[in-house]
Formats: sequence, C-alpha cells, structure tokens
Amino acid sequence: MIEINGKDIGDLTTLNYEKMKSDLLTLNMGPQHPATHGVLRVEIKTDSEIIAEATPYIGYLHRCFEKHAEKIDYRGVIPFVDRMDYLGAMGMEWGYALTVEKMLGTEVPRRAQYIRTIVGELQRIASHLLFYGVYAIDLGAFSPFLYAFDEREKVLRLFEELSGARLLYNYIWIGGVWNDITDDQLRRITKFVDNLEEEVKTYHKLVGENKIFIERTANVAVISEEMAYQYGATGPILRASGVDWDLRKKRPYGIYEELDFDVPLGKGEKGQVGDCWDRYHVRVQEINESIKILRQCLDGIEEGSIMGKVPKVLKVPEGEIYLRTECPRGELGYHLVSDGGKTPYRLKIKSSCFTHVSMLPELAPGQMIADFVATIGSIDIVLGEVDR
Amino acid sequence: MSGITPDISDFATKENLDYYDDLTFGKWLKNIGITIKSCLTGLAITGKVILTKKAVTIEYPEVREELPSNSRSRLFNDVDNCIACLQCAAACPVDCIYITATRRDKEAPKLKTDDGTPIKLDLKQYTIDTALCCYCGLCTVVCPTECLTHTTDYEFSQYTVGEMKYDYLEEDIRAWKHRIVK
Amino acid sequence: MLKDIASFLNSKVSGCQAEAYEAEVGDGHVHFAGEHLFACAKALKESSEYDMNVLQVVSGVDYPERIEVNYMLASFTKNTEFILKVKLPKKNSDDVPEVESVCSLWKSANFLERETYDMVGVKFNNHPDHRRILCPEDWEGYPLRRDYVVQKEWAGMEVNPAHKVNSGDQNFFKEVVEKMGGDKKKVTYSWKSDAEA
Repeated sequence: MIEINGKDIGDLTTLNYEKMKSDLLTLNMGPQHPATHGVLRVEIKTDSEIIAEATPYIGYLHRCFEKHAEKIDYRGVIPFVDRMDYLGAMGMEWGYALTVEKMLGTEVPRRAQYIRTIVGELQRIASHLLFYGVYAIDLGAFSPFLYAFDEREKVLRLFEELSGARLLYNYIWIGGVWNDITDDQLRRITKFVDNLEEEVKTYHKLVGENKIFIERTANVAVISEEMAYQYGATGPILRASGVDWDLRKKRPYGIYEELDFDVPLGKGEKGQVGDCWDRYHVRVQEINESIKILRQCLDGIEEGSIMGKVPKVLKVPEGEIYLRTECPRGELGYHLVSDGGKTPYRLKIKSSCFTHVSMLPELAPGQMIADFVATIGSIDIVLGEVDR
Repeated sequence: MSGITPDISDFATKENLDYYDDLTFGKWLKNIGITIKSCLTGLAITGKVILTKKAVTIEYPEVREELPSNSRSRLFNDVDNCIACLQCAAACPVDCIYITATRRDKEAPKLKTDDGTPIKLDLKQYTIDTALCCYCGLCTVVCPTECLTHTTDYEFSQYTVGEMKYDYLEEDIRAWKHRIVK
Repeated sequence: MLKDIASFLNSKVSGCQAEAYEAEVGDGHVHFAGEHLFACAKALKESSEYDMNVLQVVSGVDYPERIEVNYMLASFTKNTEFILKVKLPKKNSDDVPEVESVCSLWKSANFLERETYDMVGVKFNNHPDHRRILCPEDWEGYPLRRDYVVQKEWAGMEVNPAHKVNSGDQNFFKEVVEKMGGDKKKVTYSWKSDAEA
C-alpha cells in the first residue's frame, strides 16, 4: 500500500478513483473562447480533467429580432433574417420566402426555382466546408482550415457577383430572386464543381482518415436514436444516428422532387453509430451529394422570368402557418401569424441550433475537457441562430 | 462529496477505462504503425500543396482587389436629381435616412431632373447614418430617378461614430460624384 | 386529419372538448382548454396510431385579452405534423398565466418552455429549471408582449441614454417648420415616429 499525505491511494497500476477523491472545481468555458464557435458560456464542474456537470448559458448575442420583425414590412425583414445564421444565409432567406409565398398563394417561376436551388446547394457546400476547416482546427490541425477557406472563397466571390455582398445577401426575395444569373457564371460554377469533386477526396484523406483524428472523435458523445428524438435533433446529427430523415426527400419543396440524390447516413465505421466521427463524415458526404444536385440543376436550368407576380404593397391575409426547410445545420421552421396588415403580427423562428445546445448537459458527464471541445465542434452551432 | 454535486467516481467507472484493459503489446505496436502511416499520408498532401500551389493571398494595401460593379458598399445620393419622394426612407428597415423638404414657391423657376421628372420639393436635409445602415440595398431598388446608388468604395472608417453620418447636401460630399461614381 | 385527432382526444381524455379548426389560408389547428394539456399530449405521444415523438417548437403569441401557446408536434416515423393550441385568458396586462409543463414527455421542452416564459410570460408548472434564458436573470417585464415598455435602468446602467440617440437629425424638421412660419403643410419629412409628438 502506498500512502501520500496520509491518504492510501492503493495499487499504482489501477487508477483507483475511490482513493483519489478531491473537491470539484467550477470552471467557466467562458463567452470568449476559441472553441465554442461564438459567445457561448458553459459552466463546467470538473475535477480538472473529467467533467461531472455542464450547464450552457446563452443570450450573449440576443438581438430581439422577433420584436423588430413586428414593425418592419414583409420585404424589409429579409436583411434581418440573413443575420441569424450568418454562415448559411441563403437557407434562412429561402425558408422565409417560402412561408410568405405559401400564405399569399403566389407562384414562383421555374427559372427562379432553379436559381434558388443552385444558390441553396452552393451555400450548403460553403457551410460544410467551413465546418470541416473549423472542426479540424479545434482539434489542433492547422492546414485544413485554409484549404477549406480557399474553396469557400470561390463560392463567396460568385455570390458577390450575383447579389452584391459576400455573407449577408438579401438575394432571395418574396416571389423570386433579385438578379439574374448569366451563362458565364454558370460555366464558372461547373468548373468549380468539377474541381471540388477531386479535392474533397484529398481533404477527407488528410483529416478523416488520420489516426489521431479518429482517436479523438470515435466513440465520443454517442447520440442514440431515442435521444435524438427526445431532444428534437434534426439535420446531420439525426442522420448520423442512423435515422433516414431528410426534409428534401420526405416533404419536398421547390424542385427537389425532380432531382435525384442520396441521403448519407451514419454507419459507425470507426466506432459506434452516432459518434462525432459519424457526424463529421455525414457532412463531408453531403458535400458530394450537393455536387450531384448542382450538376443536375446546371444541366436543366430553364429560361424565363425570375420574379413572380407580387403586389407592390404586400398584405398577407389573416391566418397562421408553420413551415420547415432543410438548412445546412438542421431544420429551420418559421411560424408566421398575420392579422392582414403590412407587417407580421408574430414571427417565431425555430432554429435547429437552439435545441442542439440543450443536448450538452446530457452528453458531457464522464468526458474529458478535450472530448467536450470535440463534442461542441461536432454539433456545429452558430450562436446567431441560437440567440436570434 | 455526495449531495448536490454528483460524485466523480460515478463517471470514472471501469467501462470508461476498458480501452486500456484490452490493449496487448502487439496491438499497441500496430496502432503506432497505423498512426505513422496516416500522418505520413497527410504530410505528403500538405507537402504537395506547398510545392505546387501558388499563393492566393492578396497583398493589401499595395494590391487592391477589384470589386464587382454591383457590390453593395458605400451609398451615394446625387442630390441634384433627387425629387424627395421619401421612398428610400420608407423602405429602409433600420430607419437610417433622414429627409426634410419644403414645397417650392409657385413663382420659382421650374427645375427638372436628368430624366425629365419635375422637381416640386426643395431638399433641406438629406442625411444617411452609415453606422446604422445595414447595406441591404432596398433603398436603391425603390428610388424612381436612380439618384441613390451603391458605389464600390469600402474604405471609409472614421475615428468617431458621429463622423459616420453623411449629409449629402454638403459641398465636399457633392464633389464625390466625379471621384467615385462611374 | 385534424378532425380525427380531435375525436381521438375527446375519446381518450374526458372533458377536454378538443375542437379542430380548418383554415383556408395557412394551417389549421386543434385547440382545447389549458388544464388538459398534459393528458392530451401524453395520449398523443403514446398512441401507436399517431406516435408524436418530437416536439419541435413552443411558440407564444400575445393578444389583448389572452395568450395563445402553440405546440408544434411531429411524428418522424409517420411523417405528419400539426399545431396544438392552448388559449390562456389574461385578467389584466400584468397577469402571468399558468400551464402544465411537458418536460417529462419530451426533453426538448426544457429550453423551449424557458424561452416562452422569458419572452411572453407564461409560467410552466413542474418545470425542472424555470428561469430566464435569453434575457439577464433580473430583467423585468416580458419583451414580446405588445404593451411592453423597456425599463429605464439595469445593473446601474441607463438603457437608451439620451446622448446616444440621434435627436439632432430627428428634430431638424421641427426647426424648418418654425422657420417657415409654423405652417406644417409646407414641409414634408420622413421621420414620423416618436419625434413627432
């Protein structure tokens, strides 16, 4: 028996926590932290390596956007909606435009639907590339970050020519889109997509097949199917847990019924089904599926007008509606209550990241702090969407 | 330590530490082999990028990038053509445009804009607070005479927030018309 | 589908008087009184015919004499969704209505109900962690109510201090009106909101 400070710590070959108890330390993984993807505060009770309890505190980026939306007319809400999920802004605008169009009953012309799909899938590629780069740099790999951002730069440059801004577009309007897309830009998208298909294989070999990355992410933070249903998890997290649920297939909107693509699921190749490696791999495979969709859209784009018939003064008839679309981070829902006036009466946004953050207190106990960083990175939150 | 906070020994159980129990010496050596091989593959990829790819960084401020012509940067209003219809102030989602205008006397000489619309109101105040502006472009869409446009000028930071309010009737700002707008 | 759900609820939970409302524009809903919420939600979750296994949103809407709390339930196995509405009467403008929490059925209700309490002011009984989520802990008032006025001071700091509001530009038109001899008809201006008073 070995004694230190009067306490018997037993045999040194087995880690005997019974004999090595100490008080728990409360730490703030504070609002300013490079790995929490924004201003998220997590209060951790730990014995300095293994976490016993974790409580997230949000609200540091709350801009009360739902109150602003009650005073601004329907067209002016679109720049506000951009700024919630600023890394996937086209998805947010598309969901809002679909909600208002369904209440009004307007028909969107075919060319505008093709352009919306092209732009939405390009935004999905850009968002997943950013996830790839940032997740790698959270775990210590410095090179993939700049490779991902170099590819993303090409997408953002194209968006700047289309809409005028790099990150917050105000491009998808109620009834159609703002500017038309030229043939030269379509040719550049084809070249970009051909180049990216080769590069994604290289990027996956660099990060996903690396043994150090596998050791850090396999079997960490396993989310089972039942837990995903209980917490309302959607998007890549639900698909990585093995559930075949993609809103583009189950409840299609736009022209997704006519397009042919697969839905990647998590299979537990390097560990259990639903661990961090699965969530990473599902997102990388979704880039390939988006490339397939883009190719079909670029081949089949039709001529025509880009804006449907929308009255100059928009007044939405009385009623309420709830509509969801598939964004890069999960399902985005808009609950719109209208009383017949020029401004919405109540606009509630259901963002997927809000419910994903509530999964952290159940995933954290038993992990080490380094595993916790990998968990937060794999659920891919953007604080603009959590706090609105 | 029992009571309110959970006990650490509840989580550091044998199941969590099982990994170390199945490890034989042969497996340990094999793990090292796989790690070295995957790291060498990674190094080969980055090495190829170092040797073959050109640098993509633009050396600002010696080299400035050419922005596309419809890029939404600083606003410019050509006040000689403005008919004070207040459409831009009504369309702005953040209310950053301040306009005041008075009616012209009937005896004053008749003025027209460049494209022929008669001007009936005298513009006394046209100020845009560019610190509030969200650069959405909704005001330029509704302007009927196209006097309010976005330019491609993006270098306009100031030292105080008060200097970010631009009064477009001032003489020095009117002179921009020939410098910035193409 | 809404009429089937209403008749199913009326048969399972006695006295709830569930009614279905079909709408021409937008979505319809099923509504009933607030006391039976937990029993109805439990019946819907455990029934094999409907199998509502996901609670997506809890959304509160403020009207002059009532608050409506909408629960959007969905079934990911049967690919259905619908809106469940509970109308809670408000006695006066400071009233905080109460309803039973569904946290023991769906864990996503934890954050969602906290947000409804914070923004609209609805109290949820038996909630494990009932406090504000987006506003600071000691904030007064419920921001998304229609008659909400922001408080003047918080934690020693003044909310909306006068020197930061751009009053010079907002009141420019008042000076022009005076200069023109007080006749408002000759001046048009764009700043029509609070500064006009």
